[in-house]
Amino acid sequence: MYKCQYIKGHRLKTILAAANCIIPEYAGLSRGGTLETAAVVDWAIDQMTRELRLQFLIFISIVHVSGIFFGGRPFYKLSYTDQIRQLKWMESSPLKAFRMGFMGLKSYICMGYFSRERIWSDIQYHGPIVYDQPASDIIIRKLCQGKLKVWS
Amino acid sequence: MKKYYDIVIVGSGAGGGTVAQSLIPLKEKGLKIAVLEQGPHFPHSFFTQREIEMMRLFRFNGAWPVKSGEITIAAGQGVGGSTLMYTGVSFRLPESVVKEWNVPGLTMDDLTPRFERIERDIHVIQPSETMVNDNNRIFKKGCEKLGWPVKKIPINVKNCEQVGFCNLGCCSGSKQGTLEVQLPEAIQSGIDLIPNCEVVQLSEKKLHAKIHNVPPGTLEGKWPPGKITIHSDIIVLAAGSPGTSGLLLKSGFQQYLPRIGRDITLHPAMTLYGVYPKPIVNYRGFPKTYYTDQFSNSHGYYIETAFYYPFVSSRHMGLWGKDLSEIMSRYNQLMTVLVLNHDTIRKENRITLDRKGNVQVHYQLTGTVIESLCHAQIQAARLFFEAGCEHVIIPCASSPVIPRNKQKELEELIQTKYFISVKTPVSSAHPQGGCAMGRDPDSSVTNSWGQVHGFPWLFVADSGLFPNSAHVNPYLTVMALADRVADKIKKKLQLNDETCFQSFS
Repeated sequence: MYKCQYIKGHRLKTILAAANCIIPEYAGLSRGGTLETAAVVDWAIDQMTRELRLQFLIFISIVHVSGIFFGGRPFYKLSYTDQIRQLKWMESSPLKAFRMGFMGLKSYICMGYFSRERIWSDIQYHGPIVYDQPASDIIIRKLCQGKLKVWS
Repeated sequence: MKKYYDIVIVGSGAGGGTVAQSLIPLKEKGLKIAVLEQGPHFPHSFFTQREIEMMRLFRFNGAWPVKSGEITIAAGQGVGGSTLMYTGVSFRLPESVVKEWNVPGLTMDDLTPRFERIERDIHVIQPSETMVNDNNRIFKKGCEKLGWPVKKIPINVKNCEQVGFCNLGCCSGSKQGTLEVQLPEAIQSGIDLIPNCEVVQLSEKKLHAKIHNVPPGTLEGKWPPGKITIHSDIIVLAAGSPGTSGLLLKSGFQQYLPRIGRDITLHPAMTLYGVYPKPIVNYRGFPKTYYTDQFSNSHGYYIETAFYYPFVSSRHMGLWGKDLSEIMSRYNQLMTVLVLNHDTIRKENRITLDRKGNVQVHYQLTGTVIESLCHAQIQAARLFFEAGCEHVIIPCASSPVIPRNKQKELEELIQTKYFISVKTPVSSAHPQGGCAMGRDPDSSVTNSWGQVHGFPWLFVADSGLFPNSAHVNPYLTVMALADRVADKIKKKLQLNDETCFQSFS
């Protein structure tokens, strides 16, 4: 069992919704917004410096509340079209802080998604040659192998 | 805890490892020498070829942006430094760059024998035809169709099994970085290697450091965790360009040497992708065997072959939504190149400390660099199409996925106006400068032998010494300069002869 430490409550809902926008179910790939993706992101947040972690968590909350300006509701409650509109605005915003935040969010969601072995077969990636090399951190290995149930 | 040494080297990468190896004769004469490394000592068994697990090889887990956010720096952190996760590219410093640097005493006549010896030592080879994978083969084909020169990249590998994971640490030990060559020789001779040792301050012949806990899966060091003061008659800083400048700034040396942290370049790089009509499986075989310098003199960049793993590829593309899903669903058909810009020093770009004393790299992409990167994207797109790709992914295009039927419109589709700072993914693996070599303390930090002006006991031996961009991947140059630093130290000690050795011991 893996219990998310940082990605829970409104942050979990925001990450799941944003992940579905960044990696939608398309061209044979499954959608990004799953607990499994969120759990890898949560693990990666734990590896950050305290300062970066704080900035990242604040940015997720900003995405959550900024939904008000793009449809009058929190981000995860917006229509898919409005969610895309909000993320596109953030990606190309005149404010560099939003652009940096968006790039960070996108990067961590991609990490959470493409590090998982179940996804590798969808993209025809055959993974490591030394597949069974023991991990120094068994948690992330099991999360990526889908061998830990995720609870948030 | 207190320790006493004759010579201490801070950093174990291309510079630190080479200095340690070159100083073995002094160790044999009885001097006490240590190499301090901030990162852990990774055994081969640590390298699992999984990108998320291998984040630990990189400083800040690979997420180290410059202050403006425009570029992300990738730097190694561990015994071996950035030679842990480089591809083994071993270019000699071009003669034109040596002339441009104009450092007194630094000539090709001095460097060439060092390059030759180091190349033998670290086993630099021209990759054989059996090492050329599909990505490299179609790169060559594309260049030839365009009439561009296509050249082999010299790489330092031995008995390479071509598993393709060079940038995640070489689990077979084939890549001949300092972890495999220079450091084992130094350790064998009795030089101490101290991993997990973060040097926090430097004063007259003294280093203040912290020994951190040993991370799981890595090798134990000699000293227990805690604070330590290390006395040493000679100190060599080889912590990488930002690390060395940062340590000197933290220690107050800028009041004597105003150029510390100045004169930096990064080699801004973009990774570009084309979608080939059938699988080319770029993730097997040796990732880098060819490059073209067609636009080096005219537009200031090289195009090299490259390969990256799924997560990093998804980050480099600058795509999201359906475009990302569609392109990544064809991951094993991706042809990949790296564009490496020869940037130049600017007064705005420099290394400083933030309010908390953390090292910060200030770097703004200039209009000239952005124009060069856009030109490179147009040329890379031409190359992808000539090689046979159906689509290309170009971050600075009006629409980043360009199909083959639009290949005649590339100059209209790819323009600098589509370059949006931070949104357009630019990275760097080659921070250079900050402790430039030169004539005097007003215009540089060290002399041409890496000796810090006004501090005869203090040396720099890393890419921080570069007074301007090296144009090429810098590792072999760093090793050659580090060898010069070691020569200077040996000469300095020999001049004092027996008296010196007695006082040092």
